[in-house]
Amino acid sequence: MAFIEFKGKQIEIDEDGYIQNLDDWTPELAEYMAQQDGITLTEQHWEVINFLRDYYQKYQIAPMIKILVKEMAKMFGPDKGNTKYLYGLFPDGPAKQACRYAGLPKPTGCV
Amino acid sequence: MEKLKDFAKETNQPIFEINNDELISLSPYLDEENDSYKAPDDWFDKYDLSLDGFSGFPFINPSEEEKEEIIKKFLNGIQKLLNPESNWTFYKPFFLSLKHCVKCNTCAEACHIYVGSGKKEIYRPNFRSEVLRRIYKRYFTISGKVLKSFVGADIEVTYSLIRRLLELAYRCTLCRRCALYCPVGIDNGLIARELRKLFSQELGMAPVEVYKKGTRLHLQTGSTTGMKPHTFIDVIKFIEEDIHEKTGKKITIPVDKKGADIMLLHNGGEYLSWPDHIAAFAILFDAAGINYTLSSETLGYDGVNYGAWYDDVELARVGLRHLQIAHELGVKKLVIGECGHSHKVYSVIFDRILPASSPLWNIQRESCLPLMWEIVRSGVVKLDPMRNNFPITFHDSCNIVRLMGIVSPQRKIIKAISPGTFREMKPNGTYNYCCGGGSGFAIIRSLNFPVFRNKVSLRLKTKQILDTFSDVLNQDIPKVVVATCSNCKGSLRDIMKIYELFHKYKINYSGLADLIVNAITDIPPFLNLEEMEE
Repeated sequence: MAFIEFKGKQIEIDEDGYIQNLDDWTPELAEYMAQQDGITLTEQHWEVINFLRDYYQKYQIAPMIKILVKEMAKMFGPDKGNTKYLYGLFPDGPAKQACRYAGLPKPTGCV
Repeated sequence: MEKLKDFAKETNQPIFEINNDELISLSPYLDEENDSYKAPDDWFDKYDLSLDGFSGFPFINPSEEEKEEIIKKFLNGIQKLLNPESNWTFYKPFFLSLKHCVKCNTCAEACHIYVGSGKKEIYRPNFRSEVLRRIYKRYFTISGKVLKSFVGADIEVTYSLIRRLLELAYRCTLCRRCALYCPVGIDNGLIARELRKLFSQELGMAPVEVYKKGTRLHLQTGSTTGMKPHTFIDVIKFIEEDIHEKTGKKITIPVDKKGADIMLLHNGGEYLSWPDHIAAFAILFDAAGINYTLSSETLGYDGVNYGAWYDDVELARVGLRHLQIAHELGVKKLVIGECGHSHKVYSVIFDRILPASSPLWNIQRESCLPLMWEIVRSGVVKLDPMRNNFPITFHDSCNIVRLMGIVSPQRKIIKAISPGTFREMKPNGTYNYCCGGGSGFAIIRSLNFPVFRNKVSLRLKTKQILDTFSDVLNQDIPKVVVATCSNCKGSLRDIMKIYELFHKYKINYSGLADLIVNAITDIPPFLNLEEMEE
């Protein structure tokens, strides 16, 4: 297993960079993970990350991308509810990159 | 590698390594940089990459004592595989395949991994079987015990050998193309699968994606995706709204409808990754007036059964639950959606698993494909072939064609709903090549296993798709590869992303139901081949 050093603590991650223990997550950790990828998290990023975390709280899985897009549109308007906008924020893909920063587990099953 | 017995060599260095320039060429379609992959240095001590420099098993090396225990359990496991009572599910084809190989190696050329790798000895379908055969001879026959190397029983079971054999059991996608070509009917795919079973059932060694986050998660939460029943209900509502927005039709997707004719069992991954595919089935079945239902019972909405790839106990646990749910709903038939291994499990393997007296025999178990052809053929849904006026090819799911022999309905459907734009891959049907992601390959993501999959296992299919469309590669012409299996679609998605088939050549992929619904005249076109979703 790999680790990231953060605030003097070793945080376990898998080969794709997802944290293994969801309780390790803090907003500062999300910012640190993004920094490692050369991204500074803005309010716009946090709108997505917070939605993902809320959805996970309710359902214990990450939402399908279509739900993310539609809910973003509902909450923040059509300018933010489209995949182009989300890819702009998370170039590796919102499903992967945003979920990783949000501290959600890696998707499982035939997905 | 000089001799087969090097397989037992006690070293943490790979006994063989893949060279990029020896892999089957994707020229002239793609220029690949010759950047040979190397695992991080510290992995060689930390993990076990001693087969070919790849591994899908991130467990730490056991102590010497534990190794002794593993050797004992391994040999005991072989004994169980050879016993018709403990291996009542697969003993006969396993034992016959172990016994009667004539070593002609016809199987080698049939294997997409062997050919894709540039014909590396170690990936020959018969190589792993031969290791097992020699172990069998050495430890389980009198002549082997006494005469050893004189009778081809010159292999000592060491921990290193066991560990390499574990990896090698996962260098085969169980596609069974080798079995089709074998002149005596040896099933090397089954031998690989039985080895996986031994590792899982006797030694607790199985990829985390198929056990802990596969069948275990399936039985605990209801789905290998972790989706629970209340999430499923929410997703169904979302898909209904989406259908309404997209087509103007208000469709209620039937869930838990007692006494329906059919319970439809989709691969659970579809709900999250390809929700349009679920929508396509809902639109098609609604338009055709099919009396069907989905189930929101735990497990009832995720039809995968990963046990088929590695473990009989898990296979039976998941499968019996699926059939029980269908039985409780009072349906006549369990219809399997577009999922290859689920076809195999419910239409074929469960004939072996169900006890003779079980009431579950009353439920017919069928593929969705003949039913879909019946809908298209009957004319009950008005379809316009011109809607699918783009080059279309079809990728066969190994389990559906080779294992079950369902070859023609899918082709009749595509021909009926396209204006002569269908072209076959070569070879196709029962002779198809695996997508490269079968038997869990598409979902195993541990350590550097995906590097092996992407570089070697997906390679021949990538070449085949490019060859099929070689005359229409132009970016202005959208093209589609249709597949009737989630695992295959996952592989196609990887192929198109990694080898940039969409970006460079606008080659997209789709399920079959999606292509049919694209041709329904009274709703707007359903497919968007101009975009590829994540």
